Amino acid sequence: MNLFGMLDVSGSALTAERQRAEVVTANMANAETTHTPEGGPYRRQLVVFRAQRLPQFGMFLAGMGRSASSGVRVEQVVADPRPPIERYQPGHPDADARGYVAYPAVDPVEETADLLGAVRAYELNASAVQATKTMIQTSLDLLK
Amino acid sequence: MINDPAIDSLTRFLDLSVFRSGLILSNMANVDTPNYKARDINFLEELQRAGDGMDLASLTPVAHRVPGLIERPDGNNVNLERESLLLADTQMRFNTCVELLHDRFKMLSSAIHEGSGS
Repeated sequence: MNLFGMLDVSGSALTAERQRAEVVTANMANAETTHTPEGGPYRRQLVVFRAQRLPQFGMFLAGMGRSASSGVRVEQVVADPRPPIERYQPGHPDADARGYVAYPAVDPVEETADLLGAVRAYELNASAVQATKTMIQTSLDLLK
Repeated sequence: MINDPAIDSLTRFLDLSVFRSGLILSNMANVDTPNYKARDINFLEELQRAGDGMDLASLTPVAHRVPGLIERPDGNNVNLERESLLLADTQMRFNTCVELLHDRFKMLSSAIHEGSGS
């Protein structure tokens, strides 16, 4: 592990958390979407994170392959299996024979909490990048 | 080259600090990864081990899981306070170490220039 490799670790987290925030905002935006290209109402999306060992140049030189520290990546985006919420709206163009319209099972409170979590984690890793930058800067002082 | 045990020790200290920071950053990066377990090294043990032998393989620090952390329902046990404090701590030690090393190099430089400044 070198100092520059540490930036990759935090960088992977920044990317993953941003993707998570994107998925959450998409859920919020489509909370009332009853019509999708796949048919049916919008399905709430969820990201699945996975720890990932990052290959590093220095480690390859030392013949050790992969480093001990791991970044994170979005492994997959899955649809929430919860059934859609049905509302009685007979006049709606997407209403079924009984007059019910299927709405996505998106809970605004849940999404807001998730978004806050993503933003906080993003900020955390952004400060970690700052800390790494300071360390690199400090080590450069040795050259003076 | 210049045979100064203090420089060797300080270099080892810096190496370990960087390695530990890498693990802390991994823990921070995986704060929302299900089933991820926080990892760390035993700093003092690794530092002492450095004194025993000097071959590369034996100097690679061993990362282990941190015991005694409370696991969340998703199987993740990263404690942000612990990681943040440890990062600040490691950073301060790193800075101190760089300063000390810098001082050593300045002394060497002074000796090379016969004490007439660098």
